[in-house]
Amino acid sequence: MTNGNLSALLPLVIFMAFMVAISIFVRHKQAEKNFVSNYFIGNRQLGGFVLAMTTVATYSSVSSFVGGPGMAFQVGFGWIYMAVVQVTAIFLVLGIFGKRVALLARKLNAVTVVDIIRARFQSDFLAAVAAFVIVLFFCGTMTAQFVGGAKLFSAVTGYSYEAGLILFGLTVVIYTSIGGFRAVALTDTCCALIMMIGIVLLLNYVLKAGGGYENIMTRLEINNPELFEPFSFGNMPWTIYFTQWLLVGICTIALPQSVVRGISYKNTAGLHQAMLIGTVVVGFMNIGINFTGILAHGVLTGTAADYGGVDNVIPTTIVRAMPPELVGLAIIGPLAASISTISGLLIVASSSIIKDVYLHWAEKKNHAVTPARVKFLSISATAIIGGAVFVIALTPPSLIWLINMFAFGGLETAFFWTLLLGLFWKRANKLGAMLSMTGDTIIYCATQAAGFKILNLHQITIGITCSLIFFLIGSYFGKKSDDATLKIFFPTK
Amino acid sequence: MKKFNTDAEKFSLVRREAIYTGLALVGLIIFWLIAGFGTASSEIKIFHLPLWAVLGTVGVWLVAIVISAILSKILFKDADLGGDDDD
Repeated sequence: MTNGNLSALLPLVIFMAFMVAISIFVRHKQAEKNFVSNYFIGNRQLGGFVLAMTTVATYSSVSSFVGGPGMAFQVGFGWIYMAVVQVTAIFLVLGIFGKRVALLARKLNAVTVVDIIRARFQSDFLAAVAAFVIVLFFCGTMTAQFVGGAKLFSAVTGYSYEAGLILFGLTVVIYTSIGGFRAVALTDTCCALIMMIGIVLLLNYVLKAGGGYENIMTRLEINNPELFEPFSFGNMPWTIYFTQWLLVGICTIALPQSVVRGISYKNTAGLHQAMLIGTVVVGFMNIGINFTGILAHGVLTGTAADYGGVDNVIPTTIVRAMPPELVGLAIIGPLAASISTISGLLIVASSSIIKDVYLHWAEKKNHAVTPARVKFLSISATAIIGGAVFVIALTPPSLIWLINMFAFGGLETAFFWTLLLGLFWKRANKLGAMLSMTGDTIIYCATQAAGFKILNLHQITIGITCSLIFFLIGSYFGKKSDDATLKIFFPTK
Repeated sequence: MKKFNTDAEKFSLVRREAIYTGLALVGLIIFWLIAGFGTASSEIKIFHLPLWAVLGTVGVWLVAIVISAILSKILFKDADLGGDDDD
């Protein structure tokens, strides 16, 4: 803890203190309101700008700022061409699910995505499976965020990995536990703004250090012609383009942490505004940071392997291109990406346990749960899940980035057809959803464990295909949903 | 502004908007293919970048913004979501 760059640490400490201050303010302001609705969805009061920023910030992880641009450094413009498919993520999830989920949540008094799944398919078992899948895969994703953020912190500031983990890891657990969803949304907004400022700052210094845009690009055209070819001389096969359209494009509409944003906004004007703002911001971030990764060739003259792999490209670039007193500001962006993803997942994971499992169980058993107890349990659950992931991250597992992608794909395969067909197809039923969610999760995990692929495509292609087949089989052979349920989900004149 | 009074009208609107969004996605995928792979053999360069790299990245982003604007400003309609959110 003694050999680090103190000037790099200070901006981080101030930023983290500001995040905690926001959550305390939010908790204080909303002390009198309905706790469950307030803590887990911010009382459905988000405006368009905050909705856009929180959706983007939760979606953009630390790998978007570290691993992604590192790959762009290695592969070139093909990587940005692939990454830009993420511009669909915000308008798709809000355009397809935003209003439907909002209408249903108000009719059903639903607070979580699992509430809606339970009501649609009339199954506590399916709801429990959905909650389990959320907690399981979220823990994987959160661990990756903790590890990625702490490694970046250590590489750039010179302080230990553990010090980084304590500084931002504990901060995010504390502010999420205290402030709930509303604090998550507001801090996410700050994080998204900081991410954009960080990108501009880094780009500026990379251009300066590399002798200007003209100079860097002229050298790249001569020395790295593969960067200017869409397949990067074989480094970017078509299979990556195809699977990325599924993994970070189309299938992201079913990520529970994105869909839950549909429950949280105030009115449709806000939703419309968020679709536009979100698309602008997510494109700016993706193109901006990955382009910076390519321009980092002006700062780093070797290959990614010379700097310890693609994950070290951006940290090394920050250290070499930026003055020591601004290093702290530069890494707030990637760390903001990390903490905003963690907080977004943490609050949904907590709601899965408390709202979807415990409170539902108590209601069925006619057990009275006092508001004070709900409050205590909700805050405790958030803190315990966050604390558990923090402990796992203290001894980081190897292949952490693979775990992150595994979790991302797992969530998408589990929820994509269940939500899409469940909310838009009358014939969708309990058996179809059960077969789909349980069957495809097992198949997806098994193919991942065995390393089995078809045409060298990511296992999400197998998972999502099996999921559809199971859903259709179940829906055609299973019992139809009852009329009362259909009347709620598909009202007719 | 058209009023959507009944649940049936609101859900019908939402279904229609979801279809518009799906069609917008298909349109963007086609543009992405043509803008990137479709122009990869071109010798044209803009600011030292091959045409495919400009159209396939910034071009796709701009088209996505236009699509979002058309969806949110023209095709999507405001509707009362119902419920009592004030607690």
